[in-house]
Amino acid sequence: MRKFFAILKREYIQRLRSRMFILITVLGPVMISLFGIAPALALRIKAGGPLKIAVVDQTGKLYQGVYRSLTDNAGPPESGQDELNAAAPGKNPSERFQQLNDKQEGRYEIQEVRLEGRPLNVVEKELDRRVLAKELDGYLILPADLLQEGKPQYFGRNTGDVFTRKFLQEALSKAVRQQRLAEANIDPRIVQELSEPVKLEALKVSATGDGVRDSGEGFALVFGAGFIMYLTILMYGQMILGAVIEEKETRIGEILFSSVKPFTLMMGKLVGVSLLALTQLAIWGLAFVALVVYGVGMLAANGMTLNVPHVPLIHFVYFGLFFLMGYFIYSTIYALIGSMVTTAQEGGQLSMPVVLFPLIGFYLFLPVSRSPDSSFAFWASMFPFFSPMTMLVRIVTQTPPWWQIALSLLLGFSTVALVTWLAGRVYRVGMLMAGKKASIPEVVRWLRQP
Amino acid sequence: MSLSPATVVLRNVTKRFGDFTAVNDLSLEVRAGRIFGLLGPNGAGKTTTIRMIVNIFGPDSGEVRLFGKAISPATQDRIGYLPEERGLYKKMKVGDQLRFFAELKSVNGTEADLRIDHWLKRLKLSQWKDRRTRELSKGMQQKVQFITSVLHKPDLLILDEPFSGLDPVNVELLKEIVLELKASGKTIIFSTHQMELAEKICDDICLINRSQKILEGSIRDVKRASSRNAVGLRLEGGTEVLADQSLVTSIERHSDGIEVLLAEKTNPQDLLKKLIDGGAMIERFEMIEPSLNNIFIEKVSEAE
Repeated sequence: MRKFFAILKREYIQRLRSRMFILITVLGPVMISLFGIAPALALRIKAGGPLKIAVVDQTGKLYQGVYRSLTDNAGPPESGQDELNAAAPGKNPSERFQQLNDKQEGRYEIQEVRLEGRPLNVVEKELDRRVLAKELDGYLILPADLLQEGKPQYFGRNTGDVFTRKFLQEALSKAVRQQRLAEANIDPRIVQELSEPVKLEALKVSATGDGVRDSGEGFALVFGAGFIMYLTILMYGQMILGAVIEEKETRIGEILFSSVKPFTLMMGKLVGVSLLALTQLAIWGLAFVALVVYGVGMLAANGMTLNVPHVPLIHFVYFGLFFLMGYFIYSTIYALIGSMVTTAQEGGQLSMPVVLFPLIGFYLFLPVSRSPDSSFAFWASMFPFFSPMTMLVRIVTQTPPWWQIALSLLLGFSTVALVTWLAGRVYRVGMLMAGKKASIPEVVRWLRQP
Repeated sequence: MSLSPATVVLRNVTKRFGDFTAVNDLSLEVRAGRIFGLLGPNGAGKTTTIRMIVNIFGPDSGEVRLFGKAISPATQDRIGYLPEERGLYKKMKVGDQLRFFAELKSVNGTEADLRIDHWLKRLKLSQWKDRRTRELSKGMQQKVQFITSVLHKPDLLILDEPFSGLDPVNVELLKEIVLELKASGKTIIFSTHQMELAEKICDDICLINRSQKILEGSIRDVKRASSRNAVGLRLEGGTEVLADQSLVTSIERHSDGIEVLLAEKTNPQDLLKKLIDGGAMIERFEMIEPSLNNIFIEKVSEAE
């Protein structure tokens, strides 16, 4: 036991002190939040300033509405600043250019181009020239019969910008719809009131009879827990793999085995690295809690109250249990792989399939959460490689009978014990095999060895 | 021959790996307080034998006993082992590394620190204590590795090729330490294929080849048994005496003299007398003992 602790201590202290660990502990949350926020931010960043779009309204009625829905503004100023006309006097006397103040969708600059007796193709040519000269990004042609069945057209330099296309389409639809309603003498406000959507409140039926309001926080939490579990397994599984292989690569195994049993060595490493993982998660967890407490406090001080998600305490206990179970199932598998190979490279190859399993478990979230009491969900939550995630989903969505939870835990932890035993057997022999990866028949033979 | 009790006893030990027999029906005794040379060419089964003694794995058949007891984790703590495949944690500091290995052998705290400092000083590594192991030269790493094998004051020290890769100064230093340890009553198993070294420091040897023992005993006995009745000579004249086939069976000429092999019944004294009587001027006359190296080569090629 003393030797076990000596190994555990070395593994833990050496890794804890490493620059890599400190770096990841500090930068990890920053990276994760960056990954979370970056795509949203990237979409918001519109490089190259607002899109300049000209509108040729042949109906003569729609421009105001189109402008409103595109810019979310009250309406175009009747006489805007005539920038373009000033720049090219006399050329397009009827153009009016309206610059928006940066509202939420301040990415569009809309201007109206009137035909004023000119044929459409002449105007189109003129607009094409301006688009190519980059004075405009594109223009919309609204045909005269748009309110009946006509199709509007958008000519642009960049038609691959799906966001703009969708936005234009929605804005046009809204404008056309409103115009149609107006022409049918229906007050748009009445329409709005009448088509107000309902909001469904979900209440969980519990034994005590009071419905417990569930607005999805539980599910979000379980999703978050699953994600953390997946990340932890990936990161620390690799570390365990490396730690187990380390002795083979450095040829240190021989001297260690003259002092300790292989199983003691392997367990010492496994537990040492696991404690490291828990340390890191605890640091992140505490930082997160501190941030939330501080943040909620700040909001409260500013007169805002935030609903702290309602999650029963027992769920946190389950999170803990299933997290540990999932973590140990996969980390012992990584240890098993480590004991079969001789170099980190081989280990990487052999562990590829293992990376997939927790991912599948992660994707089982959706089918299981939609029908948590189906037999599919039952089996998914019994199979040890998936159960850490799937059983959590079931517990949160529709808590299964206690015996199912107990059975799932039992199966899971038995798997941990079994894989650990296997890994120990293989490790003992594989440790001294330098030079080549063990084949499956070889491993089977090692298992039989006394 | 001393009758000191045996520290290590192997009885009819066999170890196979798949179809390959690494050690075949090997029996040997390592007596306490002596240096035992486990000799043999590469792949003879030396390392496999040692691994069974340190309990890395057990024999398929036969018995290994240490200190009069069956092998167990407890006997492991009384062994110091310097394997041929050296291995240290490259990123660890030398001091931390030694402390870890001391803990593995149940030496803790201040006691461990004292011994570490003592040995680092002894092997002239004190200023390297806080450096990372990978910064050390290969020879220095080897000395660190040697320290890991003696920190817990083992009763049995097993050194597998301890001098390979060391410069002559460090070879002398290590040899001195090994002889000191022997003087303090430790038993030492010294595995090597460098015969000159074995000849200088071993008391007893066991020669194994192709998984089998082919020779054993004290160095003196082994040499005596393999003595070829040869005489080294440097002289002027005496050619007729040497040409006498009833006295001398063969003559080998070296740069500084000749080596003659005497006929079976010839006594070296008779040869000397006849040479003097024959008027030869003798500058050198000595009995030649076969070197361990010669014995080794002879026995191994005999067995082929």
